[in-house]
Amino acid sequence: MKPVYIVGAGMTKFGRSEWSLIKLASVASLAALRHANLGDVPVDSVVVANMGAARVNRQTALGSALVDQLALYPAMAEAVENGPASGASAFKVGCQAIASGMASAVLVTGVERMRVVNGLEGTDFVASLSQPEVEYIYGVTLPSLAGMFARLFMDRFGVERKHLAMIAIKNHENGTKNPYAHIQQTVTMEGILTAPEAAVNNPPIAEPLHLFDCCPVSDGAASLVLVSEEVAAKLAGPKVRVAGIGQATDTHAVHEREDPTDLKAVRIASERAFSMAGATPRDVDVAELHDAFTILEIAESEAAGFFDRGGAHLAIERGETRLDGALPINPSGGLKAKGHPVGATGVAQLVELAWQLRGEAGERQVKGAKTAYACNFGGFGNNVVATVLRREET
Amino acid sequence: MARISELEASLRPPAMDMPLYPPKAITLASGEQMVVRQVERDEVPILLEAIYPLLWVERDFYDIVAARLFGELLAYKRYRVKDEYVLVGLIDGVLAGMVNGRLVDEKTGMSYHTLTIRRGLRVGSHLFAAKMEYHIEHCGQEEVLIVAESPIGFRRWMIEYPLEKRFEVQHELGGVPSWVLPRDTYYGAKPRLVSGRRPVAEELLRGAERIVLPREETVVRQVAGDKEETE
Amino acid sequence: MSDTVYGAKCTSCGTVNYPMRAVCRSCRNETFEPIEICGEGKVLTYTDVYALAIDYETRYLRLAIVELDDGIRATGQLLDDDPKLGKRVKTTLGVVRDRGDAPILGLQFIPI
Repeated sequence: MKPVYIVGAGMTKFGRSEWSLIKLASVASLAALRHANLGDVPVDSVVVANMGAARVNRQTALGSALVDQLALYPAMAEAVENGPASGASAFKVGCQAIASGMASAVLVTGVERMRVVNGLEGTDFVASLSQPEVEYIYGVTLPSLAGMFARLFMDRFGVERKHLAMIAIKNHENGTKNPYAHIQQTVTMEGILTAPEAAVNNPPIAEPLHLFDCCPVSDGAASLVLVSEEVAAKLAGPKVRVAGIGQATDTHAVHEREDPTDLKAVRIASERAFSMAGATPRDVDVAELHDAFTILEIAESEAAGFFDRGGAHLAIERGETRLDGALPINPSGGLKAKGHPVGATGVAQLVELAWQLRGEAGERQVKGAKTAYACNFGGFGNNVVATVLRREET
Repeated sequence: MARISELEASLRPPAMDMPLYPPKAITLASGEQMVVRQVERDEVPILLEAIYPLLWVERDFYDIVAARLFGELLAYKRYRVKDEYVLVGLIDGVLAGMVNGRLVDEKTGMSYHTLTIRRGLRVGSHLFAAKMEYHIEHCGQEEVLIVAESPIGFRRWMIEYPLEKRFEVQHELGGVPSWVLPRDTYYGAKPRLVSGRRPVAEELLRGAERIVLPREETVVRQVAGDKEETE
Repeated sequence: MSDTVYGAKCTSCGTVNYPMRAVCRSCRNETFEPIEICGEGKVLTYTDVYALAIDYETRYLRLAIVELDDGIRATGQLLDDDPKLGKRVKTTLGVVRDRGDAPILGLQFIPI
């Protein structure tokens, strides 16, 4: 496989947008292309990540639509759908094009514009990723799967609501340092957990998960420019190498998982990514995890190998995952504060990490970051893509 | 009180003895303190100024709520509505939201509107609950008639309290079929939905004496989404 | 509308695949016979979910994953005012969703 480099990264502000789906995608794409400064190197391929356009925006064939908006014909193009892991899957497809020699420069853009429908429609749409005959018909929604997972996980490992609150507080704080984050609001332990008013401030969503354990619904787009070694050599700027990608699947219905507290697909995907990268979790300086629900930040960090089983919440208590800690997790604010335009998320995680490795993360900069890890969690953990990025000295 | 002419007096509805809403303080998710208190007629102009920019924000029915609220606030100020009250939520004195309604008679309340300016902190939920608290606990009423302009927002309250159908009664807001919150249901929901501390600490109360206008650009941006989005 | 919830029992190795699938997850055989998903078991985990789709007008729905005594696991609605992890329950059938056109029958769990 030929080496792959990230040379451009851009995104729109996540939140509520008046822009159309394709305009969001175009804005992020142009930001990444400007960042890459490809000169006369043509873009060979465009890969769009998106989950809901056909249903929620009544639009299909997004790859072709984006090529047209950016006047990139006759480049190759398609859209990739892998639920909430669409972003990292599209990234994987883009990397494969370069690794195989089929393309030299690829634009990967993830986009979602969900807020055109109301919350009920949005919830139902996301619930469509559940198993139709044995989950969906029962009123299962993604939060309900997270709630059931959380209860069992917390019971087994002694995780308490205060640990979940610490994650929400940390990610909200990081979000205020990220001008692209949806939520620009800090929260306190008193306000979301300990004060009597917390019952109204932070109502249950899927017990034991509450409002501030769940990410918001957001519109937005994020984009990366990937190139071959030959093209990268011609460009100025730091070199971010795609060191490893791993993907793994698990049973569709959550009740069929071997151990319902074990995120097996995260574990296997991470092992594959680290193996390809010739790295271990200990080498990682900064990570972006998929905290659609705060409990997932805990569970994924263990399954990926950063902490022992049952050890993550203790590390959180010690402050290890804060921006100034030993292993900053979700410097961008995570899905919780940065937001979660479903198709864009996997790409946005890598945009943040690319900025981190290039020293361009502003107030959120993790000093000396050289190796980064991202986990994009599809379905409810039945399709996971993990990525390891490494800064290369020129 | 100034002497008013007989004609003016005939244009004013008779007024019931309405108790003053005792102010309370609420800790929000951000850790900030919101003071909920009743307003006086001379504070109406500043409320009008705050909601004026929302008259043209179509999103989430803000335009019609702002427009109707504008009229209701003016009517309250100029004594043209019977037994209306207005409660506001203030964070560091800055207007975060407002609710209003009126007392139809001793037994029945008529909820008018809830307008949230500072979003993301459940201000609307807190203020709506405060409104119900006022009708039932402080005015001693049996039930409150409720409707809403926004179906999705309303559905949440409808299910959460829960509200009952009283469709044979036309609500004053456009004659639409009313829902009702009966006294018993209010008390059942109270532990879950009504919160706040009394009395309000003196310094906090003093900080809430004067209503401060939120910045217009903040108000519109928060409720309508970013107009000029950053790239 | 079916009045029973079925899984697919592999004719080769006997593994019950629930949900049904085209290929047995244990031995990759492709023929099955239907088997009723029912009986007694224990609550593996549960949740009260408030963020519901439009078909539901209740304030919340109590869902659970139950492990039946025969080893099969199933998701369903838990009809129990006092839920606990590990509590013994048994299956029953009831309307679990109604999209307006036709009510859907599915698994419910009640305390034994």
